[in-house]
Amino acid sequence: MLVVIGILIKILVVVGITQGAVAYMILLERKVAAYSQDRIGPNRCGSNLVLPGGFRLNLPFGLLQPIADGAKMILKEDVIPSYVEKPLYILAPAISIIAAMIGFAVIPFGPVGTQAPSGVNFQIAPGVDIGIVYVFAIGSLAVYGVILGGWASNNKYSFLGGLRSSAQLISYEIPLGMSILGMVLLAGSLDLNTIVNYQDGHGLWLTRWLGLPAWGVFVQPIGCLLFIISAFAETNRLPFDLPEAEQELVGGYHTEYSAMKFGMFFLGEYLHVITVSYLTVILFFGGWDAPFLNQIQSDWFSGLLKALVLLVKVGLMVFFMMWVRWTIPRFRYDQLMDLAWKALIPIALVNLVATAAIVELLRSSH
Amino acid sequence: MATPTITRPEWSTVIDPVLQKELEQHVLVTNWDKLLGMVDTVYNWGRRSSLWPLGFGLACCAIEMICTASSRFDIARFGAEVFRGSPRQADVMIVSGTVTKTMMPMIARLYDQMPEPKYVISMGACATGGGPFKEGYNVVSGIDKYLPVDVYIPGCPPTPQALLNGLIMLQKKIDGEKLDIPLLGKHGNTPWYRTELDRDIPVPVLGPDLIDLRTVEIAAEKTAQGLLDAREATLTHPPKIAAPQRESATPEPAEPAKPAAKGAKKVKRAEARPSIVWLGNEGLSALAERLNAKFGAETATIIQAGLLIPADKLLVVARYLRDENSIRYDYLASLQSVHYEDCIEVNYQLDSSSKPGSLIELRVRTAEAEGEGEVPSVVGIWRGADFQEREVYDMMGVRFTGHPELARILMWDGFAYYPLRKDYLEPYYEGPSKVFDSRVEEGFGRHFRAEEVNPYGTNMKIPRDFKDWAKLDAAEDTKGLGLLPSGVNVSELDTDQFIISMGPQHPSTHGVFRMNLRVDGETIIGLKPVMGYMHRNHEKIGERNTFLMNFPFTDRLDYLTSMGNNFGYALAVEQLMGDDAKPPERAEFIRVIMAELTRVASHMWSIGFLLNDIGAFFTPALYAIEERELILDLFEWASGSRMMCNYYRFGGVAFDLPPGWLERARGIVNDRLDGKIDELDRYLSGNEIVLDRCKGIGVLTAEQALAFSTAGPVLRASGVPYDIRRVAPYSIYSHFTFDVIKGSAGDVYDRYYVRLLEMRESVKILKQALADIPEGPILPGKKSYQIKVPAGEAYSRVENPKGELGYYVVADGGPTAYRYHVRSPSFINLTALEQMCLGHTIADVVGILGSLDIVLGEVDR
Ligand code: SF4
Repeated sequence: MLVVIGILIKILVVVGITQGAVAYMILLERKVAAYSQDRIGPNRCGSNLVLPGGFRLNLPFGLLQPIADGAKMILKEDVIPSYVEKPLYILAPAISIIAAMIGFAVIPFGPVGTQAPSGVNFQIAPGVDIGIVYVFAIGSLAVYGVILGGWASNNKYSFLGGLRSSAQLISYEIPLGMSILGMVLLAGSLDLNTIVNYQDGHGLWLTRWLGLPAWGVFVQPIGCLLFIISAFAETNRLPFDLPEAEQELVGGYHTEYSAMKFGMFFLGEYLHVITVSYLTVILFFGGWDAPFLNQIQSDWFSGLLKALVLLVKVGLMVFFMMWVRWTIPRFRYDQLMDLAWKALIPIALVNLVATAAIVELLRSSH
Repeated sequence: MATPTITRPEWSTVIDPVLQKELEQHVLVTNWDKLLGMVDTVYNWGRRSSLWPLGFGLACCAIEMICTASSRFDIARFGAEVFRGSPRQADVMIVSGTVTKTMMPMIARLYDQMPEPKYVISMGACATGGGPFKEGYNVVSGIDKYLPVDVYIPGCPPTPQALLNGLIMLQKKIDGEKLDIPLLGKHGNTPWYRTELDRDIPVPVLGPDLIDLRTVEIAAEKTAQGLLDAREATLTHPPKIAAPQRESATPEPAEPAKPAAKGAKKVKRAEARPSIVWLGNEGLSALAERLNAKFGAETATIIQAGLLIPADKLLVVARYLRDENSIRYDYLASLQSVHYEDCIEVNYQLDSSSKPGSLIELRVRTAEAEGEGEVPSVVGIWRGADFQEREVYDMMGVRFTGHPELARILMWDGFAYYPLRKDYLEPYYEGPSKVFDSRVEEGFGRHFRAEEVNPYGTNMKIPRDFKDWAKLDAAEDTKGLGLLPSGVNVSELDTDQFIISMGPQHPSTHGVFRMNLRVDGETIIGLKPVMGYMHRNHEKIGERNTFLMNFPFTDRLDYLTSMGNNFGYALAVEQLMGDDAKPPERAEFIRVIMAELTRVASHMWSIGFLLNDIGAFFTPALYAIEERELILDLFEWASGSRMMCNYYRFGGVAFDLPPGWLERARGIVNDRLDGKIDELDRYLSGNEIVLDRCKGIGVLTAEQALAFSTAGPVLRASGVPYDIRRVAPYSIYSHFTFDVIKGSAGDVYDRYYVRLLEMRESVKILKQALADIPEGPILPGKKSYQIKVPAGEAYSRVENPKGELGYYVVADGGPTAYRYHVRSPSFINLTALEQMCLGHTIADVVGILGSLDIVLGEVDR
């Protein structure tokens, strides 16, 4: 019973935090956009608020902007156009956000396993030993949200957006999956903890020789690059945001969606960004590993510290994704496909084979 | 009548005001109403802080709207930078610009698609009441004729600050809103929860005119009464003049053969020449002789320095001129028509790419009566004639036999009139020329709204015999229907093709432009541009304006380059005025400086937005706009206005440069622009994605570019070094050293790069001009509001940032132009769009369109 309650609390906390984080990510995105464009960005909302009782609230940086946006979205008329395929139209945003949410079940948002402080588990569903596979399976469900949304809207732009995304997401799933296999081979496990633990060690002779930690980015540089590229595509972020390419398809698959349904797509997208950032950090940037932290320490304090380290890394990753979005133009659809099939997948294959060979060699040399 | 007294409820107990205030401030909730009031507060606060505008712009005001989002003004501070392309996600519709009849059904539809609560900001004079274009036959006199408006912003265009103020006003309005919660017995003022209220706007119909379905019965009744005809019979109609005839052998300008109108003074005639730089009289007579020798006598008659060709010989002559003549006339610079008393004349300005600057003019005359005129189409010879012939058909009713798809281009099929015919009077017509009597003291200053003079009470004119009222259907897409591209099967697979209508409200069509695309998957297999959504009747209004009055209207053609537009128009009229209006040297320098600054500003904008079109989310555009803002500051300082400068005058400029201006201009030009251009170059020109997206896309070969009559950077990117500043020098451009930039591949990338390099050349010219500018007068004589323009015909050409901007003016010695036509580069460049897009994808279309750099004000005029 207690366990169930504990899990429920954890779910609530995680959902609450991520939803809040997503809201503030949108603000962050707007701020990043503003600063990359030499602007200020939202700064009125939250300043000079007169609360009942005469209190004045003065928050900087438009800190209440996401709340205002949310309030507005919820209160907005929810139009369901007469020409849509109603059940699917309603289902699509739900799928999109649910898939993004439940992906969090296995994501460790702090040290887990041997490194975890006893009694806490920074993971909703600990000990799922096929963690990665689960994340991928759920991640690919999210594409249904987009496809169904595009299809059910009965709008040509949405339809094209849906088509594009089905092709894009399916294509990029492959290099995305293959790029991590290298890490899985090295760590010898699909469990996310084990992979982090591996990165805490000393890895291959090359990294040892260079004095680098065994982070995925050092032991699997190609895999890391492929993963990040595919991750951009998986999350529909520029330069791969073709399903909603505003300049071409107006709103893409969500053109016909209004109010909170649109908001849910939006949230789903940002949640996806968070998931992917967590994965990137855990797989390739050492997870909660930091030079000043010892993996053996598993007291409360260092546990929290590790969670914080992870959070900071994830934040940097998120920032990186935003930075890219506001900097470079977009690929064309066929170029995107070419990139996946003619470049990423072959490279990923070669990388996989090479890694397998090295692992085998190392093992036999022992 | 006594004013009604307002009664207020009496307080039963008197509360000490200090105490009351204290209570209000420190007691959190005093009663049920207050508590409910807090609901309002939260509700309103959410909406006021998150007003997402619908991303659509109608006209010039939209440019200022975009600037409001730029770094300098940053609408994002109010949380309102999230311009949504889809109406479903927008909260506020900023109606930024002239609402035309062609566009109105679309706007109504967009409004209906927006979810409640929705707001409308009417930005600018045009959206508010029709503005400067109110008298136009295709202009709706204010958006509030259809939509409920929350905030009006005055100005033409309102500055970005004004728009921000409008936004704040809207926020204040939202603050005052109260929710209706019937369950709790709370009454509010928010109409959108009242189910009995239908807030949808019935979409008006494009019939013989724009018809509002809410008042269709009244309109039908009034039409049957023929009130408008009765009114028009009482008005002075604009005069018609006879077409110029062959000059007699004597050098004296002979009296016209027909008896002159009674009391007519002998009008001064301007020197007969088609343009300032042209083939010349000898060359023309030699050419005429050659033509006569080859195709029989009377093939070519020289009339007012143009060759009159009989309609049945037009095609052979045209083909001869293009393929066999010693100077190959392979470039149709412009094509327009004039409605004379005895004929409609279509005239063609031709130039040659091999010997540029040898411009000639052909004239073809046809029957004057409405719908009778017929001229063979020259599309087979110069493909650039395509849209221009359609325009003549649309405006004058002349049919072009052999034209592949002769449909109306600016108005819609079904519009009842040919608006540029002299006998067509606009619904708000008052007199043949301004100033209308009603506006001056002699008219006793009896100002009235134009609506009052029209029997329909609105800008509407319907022929008396129109009967099909019942057939009007709002669901029908009258404007775009005739232009669906036909499909060809490109793939072996059995795939379904479908048609997408892109625009007129679309994030990347640069205004209210529309394309009907036929796609197979994402591959374009057919494309038809649909335009006219911003047709503001520039030419018709230009015929009512006195010459001087027309300057501010030219500003609003290509609203990004108002100085350049002024320049061309000034040159056209100066060509007629001859030496009376020769600008002094300082004025020439100022003109060139302004024109080149305009070029830099315009190219900056275009490069920025090209990048935006290929997906770089506004970042390059906003950096480019920063430089543009600096230039606009200079304009504002010199002319008083950022965008609509209205700065040139016949023979000079309106004001001298203010003290300090030159120093600041030198500072910007010498110290800043070069660096900024380098920066763009460094970040963009070598970017992998930019290269991937632009190289080899939308290719136009040199031959095609010429055949399609493209101009400016588009033509030069295809490798034709045709720059009016060089081939037909005007003003003092021959004093300056600069290179004519040309590309080679003719793709999107080259067009981008040509613009970039042209900015460098402009900076070069600017440096020279700013260093050498002399002191002196800025006008040849005194400032004057009365301008006598001799009768005659002129065609001026300037190299505007978008390409060759031409003004064709026919003057009859009166205060207004008899015929006024604008050869607009954006419009004609679009002729090549389909050719460039076929076989590419939807994403490329957006980039190709961006590389053409069109401005809708100029496309539709
Ligand atoms: S003319 Fe142009 S700038 Fe002036 S109000 Fe109309 S749209 Fe705005």
